[in-house]
Amino acid sequence: MDSAKHLHGRTEIRADYLDKVTGEAKFASDIVVPGMLHGRILRSTLPHARILAIDTSAALAMPGVVAVLTGADLAGINAHWGLYLRDRPVIAIDRVRYVGEPVAAVAAVDEFTAEEALDAIQVDYESLPFVTDAEEAMAPGAPILHEDMNKLKDFYFKGETKAVPGTNIFQHYQYENGDVDKAFAGAHRVFEDSFTFPMVFHYAMEPHVVVADFREDSIALWSCAQSPTAVQKVLSQLFEIPLAKIRVVTPFVGGGFGGKASVKIDPLVAALSRKAARPVRVCLSITESMLTCRRLSAHVNLKTAVSEQGELLAKSVRVVMNGGAYADTGPAVAIKSAIRAIGPYRIPNLRLESMAVYTNTVPGAAFRSIGGPQAVWATESQMDMIAEALHIDPVAFRLANMLDKGGLVRPDLRPLDVDMPEMLKSALRLMDAEAGSNARARGVAVAATDPGVLPVGGAIVRLKADASVLVLANTVEIGQGTHGVLRSVAARALSQPIERISVPAPDTDVSPYDWGTGASRSSVVIGLAVEEACADIARQVRELAADLYGGEPEAFLLADGGVVGPNGMVSIRELLHALNGVDSGEFIGIGRITPRSKQGAFARAPLFWETAVGVGEIEVDVDTGEVRLERYVSAADVGHVLNRKAAEGQDEGAAVQGLGHSLYEELVYEDGQPINASMIDYHVPAMDEAPHQFVTLLVESGDGPGPEGARGMGEGGILPVAPVIANALARRYGARIRDLPMTPEKVWRALNDAKKKGGK
Amino acid sequence: MKTGIPTLDIAFVLNGVRVSATVEPRELLIDVLREKFELSGTKRSCDIGVCGACTVLIDGLPASSCSMIAADVDGREVLTIEGLGTPQGLDPIQQAFVAHGALQCGFCTPGMVLAVKGLLALNASPTEDEIRHFLRGNLCRCTGYVKIIEAVVDLAQRKHLG
Repeated sequence: MDSAKHLHGRTEIRADYLDKVTGEAKFASDIVVPGMLHGRILRSTLPHARILAIDTSAALAMPGVVAVLTGADLAGINAHWGLYLRDRPVIAIDRVRYVGEPVAAVAAVDEFTAEEALDAIQVDYESLPFVTDAEEAMAPGAPILHEDMNKLKDFYFKGETKAVPGTNIFQHYQYENGDVDKAFAGAHRVFEDSFTFPMVFHYAMEPHVVVADFREDSIALWSCAQSPTAVQKVLSQLFEIPLAKIRVVTPFVGGGFGGKASVKIDPLVAALSRKAARPVRVCLSITESMLTCRRLSAHVNLKTAVSEQGELLAKSVRVVMNGGAYADTGPAVAIKSAIRAIGPYRIPNLRLESMAVYTNTVPGAAFRSIGGPQAVWATESQMDMIAEALHIDPVAFRLANMLDKGGLVRPDLRPLDVDMPEMLKSALRLMDAEAGSNARARGVAVAATDPGVLPVGGAIVRLKADASVLVLANTVEIGQGTHGVLRSVAARALSQPIERISVPAPDTDVSPYDWGTGASRSSVVIGLAVEEACADIARQVRELAADLYGGEPEAFLLADGGVVGPNGMVSIRELLHALNGVDSGEFIGIGRITPRSKQGAFARAPLFWETAVGVGEIEVDVDTGEVRLERYVSAADVGHVLNRKAAEGQDEGAAVQGLGHSLYEELVYEDGQPINASMIDYHVPAMDEAPHQFVTLLVESGDGPGPEGARGMGEGGILPVAPVIANALARRYGARIRDLPMTPEKVWRALNDAKKKGGK
Repeated sequence: MKTGIPTLDIAFVLNGVRVSATVEPRELLIDVLREKFELSGTKRSCDIGVCGACTVLIDGLPASSCSMIAADVDGREVLTIEGLGTPQGLDPIQQAFVAHGALQCGFCTPGMVLAVKGLLALNASPTEDEIRHFLRGNLCRCTGYVKIIEAVVDLAQRKHLG
């Protein structure tokens, strides 16, 4: 159809592009609320300490300082919050548990004054024994961070954590299928290997920022939150204010990658506004954002049994994750990490165990594919190591053990819904075509992950008299292009040109509940909610048209600007005129997604599988140990491409983010202090480090659960990069690295060790 | 806030218009642009001159406004993203970014676009390696740079052909 083609061709140009290239886009950090004060935060300089006294008198005496918040101000409210465990105070109460923990907050007329006032605050600490390493934190006699485990159930994620009271273990996840011990005992070979993955900082380029306006019985926030409704829920419980009186607005957000998911600084800024009795803006520096959250580091131990023919017989996974001082969503990260270590393989006997552990470090948090990169790093490295030991080609070894479409990664999970073997072969063919005769050291890795998608969300669509359309949803535009996707979904479903569809910034006062923006879920869950809301409008329009002009509703079809029936076109305005007597009004459609959607099919987890294949070629400077990823092919079955440039961009961005933890990134602790928590010392990939050739293969099988058969995407691309590079290094140079990041020093040492052993 | 700190009167050309301001010696250019002139397109990220988000052009060359004293632009020409183009009248660089989808969250975009402007003013047809080298001071955490490089290569080739 001509008009559909016309609409489709325009969907590439996202409305936000124009605002963003001209600097007109208003980000969370650009929000100015009349009368607002500026807040700065005094942070703990010690990893673990009792607070003996805080003297704020000198700060309060400074001209321009309006309020200083400390733990003492929390009397009378529920001072602790969390997502799995109510373990975190709004601001430190009597004790600090990591360097960087907020101890006091100042609200003043400007940032200079607030900053200066921080220096005037005196805090007396009494140091306590501290622990920054997860294994040490599990050892007998380790300092205990939280004496109580105040658990929440079905609060943010479904279920509850299995914390071990009296220890630092706040999640202990276990799963077993088959007879693992018997399989190990009878196997031809059993391989046991350990791998480590560092703490990684999200580095969303816009730091965390919130403007809060706390009134007697209401709170309004302009926040960088990826999960506005989670912010609402936590604030409601802390301050005992009804959900309906808490408004969270989320303007454009300058990147998140999970670092702004669940809840971060909103409770603190709300409490500071409450104390100051004025709106307060707190915009962290990037250094402070580095002290706010980071990816959980991990120690992954894998034990894998194989037959003589190279058949996977059993696998035992043990993941120990450093969860930092507060649990946040760490319990979910630990579960996902264990599951994501399985891979897209047939493994008849499977044992999974993962633990997340409190330490005196920056709280761990969700980060693009929670637990995934840690798990895939280990599993896909070991797959190559086993193949090498068995003298089997690593690709052949993978293919021989790979699940076909419909196979079970785990019997209790939805069957794998993509054709992984074909995807791997396609990616290899693409790399062969790219590389030609100029092939370099090459590595391969694959991944299959179960996104933690809670299928709960809604949308309201309003078709106005002039046939313009307003789509109301709480999906946060964080760079992924979700508003562009929702526009194109509505344009298609209502047969209106995309130019007339608007998606305003999320506002919990007007948009329906949505669980949150993350886990590759928005295009699927909210895309379907918008489709459903549009179907609701179409039904109303056709029924009204049939009623007014005669005939069956089915005889009327929505078209550009109106509805076409047996006697031609009637505009939306004419339709509303006939209905209302004046030529104004609107049609309102509501869409809701719940686990009961699609006849209950959405209740089964995961809603879809997010898969990835990476094939890469590297160049190594053997004198310095410096590694470059030169060529990279990234493949994923996304079901259907809703916006090609946005989808490719997500994949490219994920892969280069993965290049960061592969080669450069690690938050380093020494003596309880994060010693490289600034962008001078912490290096993320720069433009000259991106691969020279990057090819994204988006497979469109058309059978995902989302609009037009789409499945979620945007996270998978980060998964294969590290094992691709490590496998290429091992295959070409015999140098096997088990600890990320693969810094020049580690690579140089591994190359020298390989040479000494008389390797390749 | 009155602080008793002496102030300086400065005059400069901002986006083609002669302007003046009274600034404290400690005030940074980024704050003067964002607060006094309400030009919020200039973005603050790393605060220490390594990420490029706050890039503006001073006398045609890229500079990090987060690490520059405002008083130092006295008598000079400053171009911010607001002075480059509008949604209705995009600069060719902005057009190329839109056409190639060379942005996602958009927080690095104003600085990136201005850095490209500075590059093309110095070198109308840079090679891909020159592009990668010149722009390595402008970080982007969303795109992986692939489509940004495509956009700038496209611009460079057009300039070359033109």
